[in-house]
Amino acid sequence: MNSPVGRAVPRVEGYAKVTGGAKYAADTHVPGVVHGYLATSTIARGRITSFDVSRALAAPGVLAVFSHLNMPRLTVPTAPYPKGFMPLQDTRIHHDGQPIAYVVAETLEQAREAADLVEVGYEVEPAQIALEDAPGEDFLPPPGPEGPYEVILGDAHAALERAEVKVDHTFTSPVHHHNPIETSATVAVWEGDKLTLHDSTQSINLTQGVVSKALGMPPENIRVLAPYLGGGFGAKAPVWPHTVLTAAVARIVGKPVKLVLTRAQMYTASGYRAQFFHRVALGGTREGKLTALHSFSNQQLSRTEHRIFNTSETSWLLYDIKDLHVRQHGVRLDISTPHFMRSPEGPPLFGLESALDELAYEIGMDPVELRLRNYTDVHPETGGPIGNANLAECARRAAEAFGWARRDPRPSSMRDGREFIGYGMATEAHTYRSRQANAVVEIGVDGRAVARSATHDIGTGTYTVMTQMLAESLGMPMGRVHFELGDTNFPAAGFSAASVTVPSVSVAVDKAARTAREQVVALAVADPRSPLHGTPVERVVIENGFLFDNADRDRRDSYEGVMGRYGRPVTATGRHINAPGYTTGVVFVEVRVDPWIGRVRVTRAVTAHDLGRVLNRTTARGQVIGGVTWGIGYALSEHTVIDRRTGRTVNPNLSTYLLPVNADTPTDIEAIFIDKPDPASPNGTKGFGETPITGVPAAIANAIHHATGRRIRDLPITQDKLL
Amino acid sequence: MKNFEYVRAKDPADAVRLVVERPGAAFVSGGTDLLNLMRDGAQSHDRLVDVNGMGLDKVTIGARNVRVGGWARMADVAAHRFVRQRFPVVSEALLASASPQIRNMATIGGNLMQRTRCGYFRDAASPCNKRVPGSGCSALDGENRWHAVFGGSDHCIAVSPGDLGVSLLAVDAVVLTSGPRGERRIPFGDLQVLPGDTPHREHVLDHGELIIGVELPFSHFAGKSKYLKLRDRASFEFAVVSVAAALDLRGRHVRDVRLAFGGVATKAWRSFAAEDALRGKELNDSTIEAACRAAVSGAVPRKHNAFKVELLQRAVSRVLHDLGGVR
Repeated sequence: MNSPVGRAVPRVEGYAKVTGGAKYAADTHVPGVVHGYLATSTIARGRITSFDVSRALAAPGVLAVFSHLNMPRLTVPTAPYPKGFMPLQDTRIHHDGQPIAYVVAETLEQAREAADLVEVGYEVEPAQIALEDAPGEDFLPPPGPEGPYEVILGDAHAALERAEVKVDHTFTSPVHHHNPIETSATVAVWEGDKLTLHDSTQSINLTQGVVSKALGMPPENIRVLAPYLGGGFGAKAPVWPHTVLTAAVARIVGKPVKLVLTRAQMYTASGYRAQFFHRVALGGTREGKLTALHSFSNQQLSRTEHRIFNTSETSWLLYDIKDLHVRQHGVRLDISTPHFMRSPEGPPLFGLESALDELAYEIGMDPVELRLRNYTDVHPETGGPIGNANLAECARRAAEAFGWARRDPRPSSMRDGREFIGYGMATEAHTYRSRQANAVVEIGVDGRAVARSATHDIGTGTYTVMTQMLAESLGMPMGRVHFELGDTNFPAAGFSAASVTVPSVSVAVDKAARTAREQVVALAVADPRSPLHGTPVERVVIENGFLFDNADRDRRDSYEGVMGRYGRPVTATGRHINAPGYTTGVVFVEVRVDPWIGRVRVTRAVTAHDLGRVLNRTTARGQVIGGVTWGIGYALSEHTVIDRRTGRTVNPNLSTYLLPVNADTPTDIEAIFIDKPDPASPNGTKGFGETPITGVPAAIANAIHHATGRRIRDLPITQDKLL
Repeated sequence: MKNFEYVRAKDPADAVRLVVERPGAAFVSGGTDLLNLMRDGAQSHDRLVDVNGMGLDKVTIGARNVRVGGWARMADVAAHRFVRQRFPVVSEALLASASPQIRNMATIGGNLMQRTRCGYFRDAASPCNKRVPGSGCSALDGENRWHAVFGGSDHCIAVSPGDLGVSLLAVDAVVLTSGPRGERRIPFGDLQVLPGDTPHREHVLDHGELIIGVELPFSHFAGKSKYLKLRDRASFEFAVVSVAAALDLRGRHVRDVRLAFGGVATKAWRSFAAEDALRGKELNDSTIEAACRAAVSGAVPRKHNAFKVELLQRAVSRVLHDLGGVR
């Protein structure tokens, strides 16, 4: 039997999604549910000096208004609660948009109207909002979970002095927000001491743990459900206050409470990509050997958390550079806590991959060739392989498919009517760490199988690829197997972030399925009623739901037959902790620039990636299309505009925060996959989702330079920068 | 969002009465802008009078003009063969607006009455003289990349949004209204007012005065017209700079011309100075350049929007070259 793994299998949950059958957190209908709405601060820093909820309480339908005056004291959990403080506990305002009151009313409209009636007075303190507001206040934070924020190999400064060719420039990118189409929502339902949370989260297990700590209750009394997510991109991976607060207030009002954040609230209620300044000095020889890298970055931090989330790890993993110095600073500001956003490598790679293009021009060398001469698969600290073994093949194959050889390297040399054509490329890379995942497989008396794991489908295709994996591991057709997720009653898995779901969960499913399969084979050969009775287990093969004696294929049984006779389900569990990984590739883009009016169109993209064994060509390609599309927004239009006087976001909506629309996106996106199993993974898979955005901004900026001769180092590249 | 009463009007006269009798009432048709404004607290009404289903949603061709019903949907007008042939600038402006879904829902009258996209106006927590008279203007010294370089005052520099109005200036369109004072014909150029020290007043309509149609008069220039919209993404986005141009060209001789701009001013902006630089002259590189310079005379750029002065000249130049066949 041909395995379904690797094929372009359509999404198993697709029908439910397009027909409205898929129920997202906010779709949850609970009898007697009442509605929450958050009133939020309109200052960035200061104290609440007066607070009057009398008008709000008197408004129609209002059941309660919670604030620092009457909210029970909650424990502030540590990571993965990233906030450093809990709202509604005291009068301190840490950032604009901080919840200051939680209104509960019979209807959403009543709650929202009452939230407007909360009267608050502030003592306003001067606030610092942007990196430009705090010159000289940046510092090197203590090491985070990824390790230290400073890496020194050799002597980069001396090597730069000596370098035959060098470039030294500063690159900047603005605040970005995730903007998942589904805003965050929580429905909290208490039954006695037991709490059920329907939550739009990329981590039901982290939500369970954080709410348990905050409310001081045992985690086993909390069940978190998230069967579907309308995107997350990191916004929903940590646990944010709205979930904790909804759980707490639902207990007090004695009714189920539903809270759905507005789009505007999403700009301060969860994380975002911090503003990023990046100085990159790169040195090399005239033959194109990189000799020195100095990467100094600075990014926004809130005052209550000092973890760096735009990590520069890739700076020392991608290229063989003997002398390097990477230092990542942050600045504490009066802003809501920045966090990770697909993908943390994006901002640093924009600088590094732009600088490489600039160096290639300085040397007079093809940018692809420059990279090929410097790619490495040797970890600079461990000396072991990184996972880059096929990166050169990615570059060659994508260059070939793109037609890179047709490129005249001189800027503004390729033209079609009014438009100048530019080709640009960049390397893409994303790291991920180990996560533990568990799964259980149950084969029923009807011979059908179900696997369960407390993981998530954030829109990436988890339901589908795990179903494929299960079918392959059991030797069953797709139609006989089923995968369930999004329930903390299932075996625990990590968050669905950092592109780590596939390499952790698919192996746990594979292991559980293989164990269950062995049990069924053992049942068959031990069963006198089975045609396979007495066959050595190693001779039994399973294809398409049937068990064969490989030496005599006329002797066969089926899952249905074996399980029907056995009369009880068979279950088995699997556990896997994935190896840390590094998934890389290369992106090529074509842009067309009308320089008179500064208009840029991205007209073609070709990518090649090494994502280990490809589970599903359709969903993998979906990640590439998403990455390229988002990369176009990153390069050309996305920018959270924040008023530096007040800290308020000026464009907190999809009308004025400009994500790309169809018209911005090329119809021609070709995704090449190397499709070789990763030796570090039992089933050959690697984490992939985030990689295909990481190089796109630099590739587009490099292409614009090729088209126009203009080197834009400040994102987004809006038309005014090209006039 | 405040509670409000929803009523359906039987006919335009009924609609006018239902709004006039209640100071907090407003008309609603497509609702594509109004409902967002109400949700965001930028506007509140205690009564919405639904004016759908009263007819007046067709394009009718007369002897001297084309009459577009006030409730005609943007998509229908844009696709209308006669509008496309005789008033291409209007069709192009409509097609450059919003998204297909919004164009299917939004009406011509509603489009002309949409409110500014200024982020401070739309944020109920920010000072804004247009939303709360006397509260101050956050944009003057704030994030004003998207704001006006023409027609602003010390009280407001919010850009008048939308493309249709700009195109109407290029074809001498007339707005037809029905209100407490009866029916009126208002040249579109007289409909909108500058903010001055009353930026909350955006037009000359009375409370309860309803746009029931728009007349597009036939002219020698309307048939040779064009709309160029420059924006920060390729679709579903308001203009950073837009230009509506119409030319009555005999050979190289400009008999008449209309030039109007969007994205740069506090109302749809007609540049008489730029028109005068061309009218009666030969259309060539140097007269086009003179028109571009005239187009931006009197511009008042702010901290973040000075680029609009350059971009507008380039856009005008591009449109005139294309429309006039000047290479």
